[in-house]
Amino acid sequence: MTRERSALAAWIVLLALLAVLAPAFFAFGNLRDVVLSMVPVLVVAIGMTFVIVSGQIDISIGSQFAVCSIAAGLMAVAGLPMVFVALGTCVLGIAFGLINGALVSWLGVPSIVATLAMMVAAREGLRLGTGGAWVQNLPSTFQWLGLGQGAGQFVILLVAAVLFGVVAWAARNVAGARAVYATGSDAEAARLSGIDTRMVTLAVFAGMGAMAGLAAVLNAIRFSDVQSNAGVGLELKAIAAVVVGGASITGGRGTLVGTLIGVALLGSIGPALTFLGISPYWEKAIQGGIILTAVMGEAIAARRSRLSGRHA
Amino acid sequence: MRRQSFLLGGLLLAEIIIFSLIGTNFLTAANGFEMARSSVELGLLALSLTAVIVTGGIDLSVGSMMGLCAVVFGFLWKDFGFSVWAAAAVAIVIGLAGGALNALAIAWLELPPLIVTLGTYSLFRGLAEGLTGGVQYFSGFPAAFLDFGSGGQIAVFGVAILFFGVLLHTTTIGRGLYAIGCSQSGARYAGIPVARRLSLVYLLSGLSAAIAAVVYVAHIGQAKSDAGTGYELMAITAVVLGGTSIFGGRGTIGGTLLGLATIAVLQNGLRLAALPSEVSGILTGVLLIGSIAIDRLMARPRKASVTNEELDVKNSQVAVLSAVILAGALIVAGSNWWLVRSVRVVGAKPAGAKITIGMMPKTKGDPYFVSCKLGAEEAARELGVDLIWDGPTEMDPAKQNEVVEGWITKGVSAIAVSVSNEASISTVLRKARARGIPVLTWDADAAPDARDFFVNQATPQGIGYTLMDETARILGGKGEFAIVTGTLSAANQNEWIKYIKQRLAEKYPEIHLAVIRPSDDDRDKAFAETQTILKVYPKVRVVMGIATPAVPGAAEAVKQSGRKDVKVTGLTLPSLAKPYVHGGTVESIVLWDTGNLGYLTVYAADAAAKGTLKAGVKEIVAGRLGKIEIAGQQVLLGAPFIFNASNIDRFNF
Repeated sequence: MTRERSALAAWIVLLALLAVLAPAFFAFGNLRDVVLSMVPVLVVAIGMTFVIVSGQIDISIGSQFAVCSIAAGLMAVAGLPMVFVALGTCVLGIAFGLINGALVSWLGVPSIVATLAMMVAAREGLRLGTGGAWVQNLPSTFQWLGLGQGAGQFVILLVAAVLFGVVAWAARNVAGARAVYATGSDAEAARLSGIDTRMVTLAVFAGMGAMAGLAAVLNAIRFSDVQSNAGVGLELKAIAAVVVGGASITGGRGTLVGTLIGVALLGSIGPALTFLGISPYWEKAIQGGIILTAVMGEAIAARRSRLSGRHA
Repeated sequence: MRRQSFLLGGLLLAEIIIFSLIGTNFLTAANGFEMARSSVELGLLALSLTAVIVTGGIDLSVGSMMGLCAVVFGFLWKDFGFSVWAAAAVAIVIGLAGGALNALAIAWLELPPLIVTLGTYSLFRGLAEGLTGGVQYFSGFPAAFLDFGSGGQIAVFGVAILFFGVLLHTTTIGRGLYAIGCSQSGARYAGIPVARRLSLVYLLSGLSAAIAAVVYVAHIGQAKSDAGTGYELMAITAVVLGGTSIFGGRGTIGGTLLGLATIAVLQNGLRLAALPSEVSGILTGVLLIGSIAIDRLMARPRKASVTNEELDVKNSQVAVLSAVILAGALIVAGSNWWLVRSVRVVGAKPAGAKITIGMMPKTKGDPYFVSCKLGAEEAARELGVDLIWDGPTEMDPAKQNEVVEGWITKGVSAIAVSVSNEASISTVLRKARARGIPVLTWDADAAPDARDFFVNQATPQGIGYTLMDETARILGGKGEFAIVTGTLSAANQNEWIKYIKQRLAEKYPEIHLAVIRPSDDDRDKAFAETQTILKVYPKVRVVMGIATPAVPGAAEAVKQSGRKDVKVTGLTLPSLAKPYVHGGTVESIVLWDTGNLGYLTVYAADAAAKGTLKAGVKEIVAGRLGKIEIAGQQVLLGAPFIFNASNIDRFNF
């Protein structure tokens, strides 16, 4: 709980700084564009929250995102209606997720290793297959689902909001979600109390893949062609957002609201730097610094309260 | 544990056998030396990471630390006049400082190592980029230092192996590390000073990264903020492949060395067999999963117990093991056979004294280079030569060196490189020339004494001036414009920016450059950056995109903003700009016929290999391009070409 609050506080400070120094940030057009650019990260971070809560990690989602984006483009060019393109892309993502999940839960490969291999294999395989070519000459129903810019943007935001709302509700109230938390807290205890931890692991990775596919579609339909090398660094953005938002990397703790705050904070830094006129060379250093501060701040506070005998 | 080493040893042996059969000059002393030399940086990281992972931790920041130390080293030597060794000493102190930061957070604040080092991974790289503006690099180091980099580092590696081997396997400190990996609280109750031990391993990790940075700079002759990019993951792969458990408590230095050797041999062998570098990445991933999976499958306990009992190796399991190794070997051999077959179909001459040309782009995934490749393949078909098209899949300067080293070992007839980093590639290109292999550069040049000829499509000055002139024309001589570039450290883009600014200062006093933002060669990022630029700098009327994905990204942003008063121009492929040219957002783009560039390069390389292109020659005949002029050492394709609505449909790339 503390880390969520400190992340929220950090975000409010950033917004306050912008309000004073660059109020143009809060123009409706800018806010809308900044939020739209956060949508892929948010969708992916939703899936990542469950992965991390279950005690695993997935660093292959950037590569999955790239493959799914190209697949969506190719399906559209082949003439499939957009509904099937979206479904097909999510199914592809689930397939990737199932491979990761099978490697982790059945073969016992540690998740960082399995997803590391998947990350390299998927991206290199994609490059080998496409030769770096973009997918162009998409049908007119691709961009904005054929609905036009305004309606299309609204649909993307709506889908993201509904997804977040449903998943946030399910995380608290659906028994399967409780199983994820239990598995992450103590896998052996969960297994002994009758939870099939293998299925839980398989399910979180499959869910992660589905989110990667969905994010790929929601991102791809903003443009009129599909680039060959999308999603570089996406996994780190998602992990950072989930962790800054309060999830424990060892599993068992984490909320979707916290993830949302993490996405908002980290996603605002880039545009904020431009508005504040800060050189882009420092962006990575600032992001790293924020992650460290968020994580260390909470630890120091917890340590202090533990040492003084108070409850955290 | 022993089983995995046995398995890995067998795999390594299989690799060596296969590659000596299908790779050219694989099993030579020179090649072995070269493999050892290029593995030192990675090896140093892998050694210290073994200790870290044995304690159950991880350190993702080692690659970024290499970048930071390299940059500090360069600064101290160049700008502050330190001697090379004094600068190295300070760089090592920086490495220890970074290690101390990790140690503080992980050992004393008890934060999860994955998250802390994820943060320092960004922080260190960010500091390196911030200090150099992403661009600045240092080169021209004294010869004695560079000589150290051509062989001396193996001695350093040997000392490191001894050090870590003794530390982990014979000292009580080492025993304590394994205990911590098995159970931190158990180790604490056993009286082991856990926080001190953990601090030690993270300090050593920082130290290793700093030494690796100095070795790296000596090896490739250049200190830049991108040093060590991606090395952390490769080092972790080597460590885990070698049998160290990621959960801690198990692992050996010998195993890590085996893992390193397996990966190095795989990458080197694939290169000598002229297989594309993507295969190496995929196979490394497969190997990693395969070796762990086999180990876990064979160790599966019979009863439903929690502990991991080691079972005896049964005959049937040995059979499975051998079958997997054999299958892997067959896959590699089979893919090579398929590739060799397809190359042979392209060339018309019979086997014998067949000319092989090694041609390397900056990165294989960039559509710009893909279009050059088409022209190159056309020329190779016409001439009947074997074209090896290979190169880094990411912007990794060190990878270019490795590929060229492989070609030298293989003995290609000519080398043609589009240079990512001038200083680092020149060392290895000079070596190729010394071996009698003619060297050409194309698209981006190396040091003049490192190559025979430079196939130039247009000078950076010509490109910069043309871009500025086009922008000025669209602005009508006054107003504001913004630049969206590729990555902040891309050398050729920064050269163009230099000439753009020069032209701006000389000729257009009423035009103002508002801002330069990076797109990291990502269309989506160029899109987001342009959206922000339009809002923060409302007076900007032209956005100049000087990376291939930047122009379509910026154009889409301008189109979606509805700002009809803003135009986009820049440098990109006609195919990517076409929809926006017809839509009116893009008035014109600047480029040249990329296919012709590739075509001309192959003709020039072929002529160099045959000896018809040598010093003093004033022109060559290049197939359908006809007579091409040579000015000094530059083979000139022509001037930059402006694509606009009237001509863009004629082009297909």
